[in-house]
Amino acid sequence: MLKIMKVSGESLAPQFHEGDFVLIAKIPFVLNRLKPGDVIAFYHPEYGVMIKKIDFILPGGTEFFVVGTHHLSLDSRLFGPIKRGELIGKVIWHIRKPR
Amino acid sequence: MLYKLFQKLDAKFSFELAQAHCDIPCGIYDPITAQIAALTVVRMIDLMADLEAKGAHDAAYHNSMARYVAVKEEHAEKAKHEIRVIWGDYIKAQHIEKHPGVSDLVHKIMQLGSKARQTNDRDNAVQLVEAINEFAEIFWDTKGIATKRAKAPYNPPLEMVYPAL
Repeated sequence: MLKIMKVSGESLAPQFHEGDFVLIAKIPFVLNRLKPGDVIAFYHPEYGVMIKKIDFILPGGTEFFVVGTHHLSLDSRLFGPIKRGELIGKVIWHIRKPR
Repeated sequence: MLYKLFQKLDAKFSFELAQAHCDIPCGIYDPITAQIAALTVVRMIDLMADLEAKGAHDAAYHNSMARYVAVKEEHAEKAKHEIRVIWGDYIKAQHIEKHPGVSDLVHKIMQLGSKARQTNDRDNAVQLVEAINEFAEIFWDTKGIATKRAKAPYNPPLEMVYPAL
């Protein structure tokens, strides 16, 4: 149900940085529905496991348009929305790397 | 404090990475840089053999030999680097599905490239050129561009793969 992951890359800066740890809740979506602004981890068939922020949920609720906060972020603006089946989970805890 | 605890756990269990990719997908990839680097390796080996055949082992000899070895080293590594970038950043699952041997080919290029640095084995260096030619054929095929083979217009005049534009 829970998974710890390590952030690689800076597309969610300044909120998340390279080396931060995140705790992912894998299937909380029934009790805790996903909404824009949530940060999620998902598996993209071309780019692998990624972490991005939900910008909006497409009608039907099965696809999510995800973005990074950095202007050079590689996200749904390039590869389109992600499917519910590609979701790994939602970030519920963030352990920042000391700076 | 808490971060250090997670850091220790990470060292022990290697947590999976979640990529927050920040990239500029410029889309400019071309194996020709690797092909020319590999050809340069062969050229340096030829120049080393020519120099050795002259027989003199004076300061000028050592100076030239050192420079040929350094350039051979640099270009063998450059060939490996360029192939790694294309393979890692450009080649996608659908390309591997169409060309299932591409990962083995990249591994072969890495090994030939390493041996090109370690030795002055010309046959190995020629194999490196050819393996990168094969990679170039796959690369251009993924873009739907036909290729042609032609001898390099400089020494060593080995066969090279070019896009038939």
